[in-house]
Amino acid sequence: MNRKEQIDKLVDDTLNSLDGAGRATPGPYLFTRLNARMQNANEDVWDKTLRFVSRPAIAMAILCLVICINALVVTRNYPAKSTSAATEETYASVYEYNNSVAVLDDVENTEP
Amino acid sequence: MNQPELIVQLQRGDGQAFKKLVDEWQDMVYNTALGIVQHADDADDITQDVFIQVYQSVSSFKGESKFSTWLYRIVVTKSLDHLKKKKRKKRFGFVQSLFGAASEEEIHPEEFNHPGVLMENKERAAELFKALQLLPDNQRIAFTLHRLEAQKHQDIATIMNLSVTAVESLIARAKGNLRKILQDYYEKNII
Repeated sequence: MNRKEQIDKLVDDTLNSLDGAGRATPGPYLFTRLNARMQNANEDVWDKTLRFVSRPAIAMAILCLVICINALVVTRNYPAKSTSAATEETYASVYEYNNSVAVLDDVENTEP
Repeated sequence: MNQPELIVQLQRGDGQAFKKLVDEWQDMVYNTALGIVQHADDADDITQDVFIQVYQSVSSFKGESKFSTWLYRIVVTKSLDHLKKKKRKKRFGFVQSLFGAASEEEIHPEEFNHPGVLMENKERAAELFKALQLLPDNQRIAFTLHRLEAQKHQDIATIMNLSVTAVESLIARAKGNLRKILQDYYEKNII
């Protein structure tokens, strides 16, 4: 048998190698795995969210974020309270303005 | 319970009917998916996806075609989608490999051995499956359904939504292309 014939025979054998092949079967407990997957897919959004949030890493990250936001709010507000003189003047002027408005109202109401 | 009754039960959401359907068709679904994607775990995932879709969309099955045809269509579509996804991942894997992050399997897939092939044909069949990967999708699907699932040309035509002549032509072209690929391979590898 020459080389070309040998190759042709190999090609034919390869093309016919699926003759008599049986069906492959999936792994065991396919239905059980399928059921579990379908139940997971049916889980509602709240269950998924709660499960996500209750992961230790996520819970810690959220806790850190809340602490950081609190710290930020406190540090931003603290200097504003210490500027005593300017703030007091501002309050005073506001009170005066309110008083004057009240007085004007009174004057207007007295007119016939 | 015959098949139309089973479908009616399934359309009513009967869990037992669904179990029966899975038991009856799982080998066909898995074998077809395995022939197309050539990876056992992926074929298992596709089998599950197919049955989930069947359960969710069985109400849209009107019985105009055979149930098996409808099921084959779902398997083929899911398998081709899976291959597209895998190709995209492979391209990304190649980019990752440039930075040393991709896994070996993503770059050089291992040789596929179909478990149903006779022992004496295993080696040749592995070469055939490798060659099949180089065919266009429609030729590969037609050839796989014909040789692995022993489907008739008429049935393949219905599954692929083509004429019988088109299917015959696809299978003939698939065989011709496979012959060329295998000849090249053996010429390079036979001393």
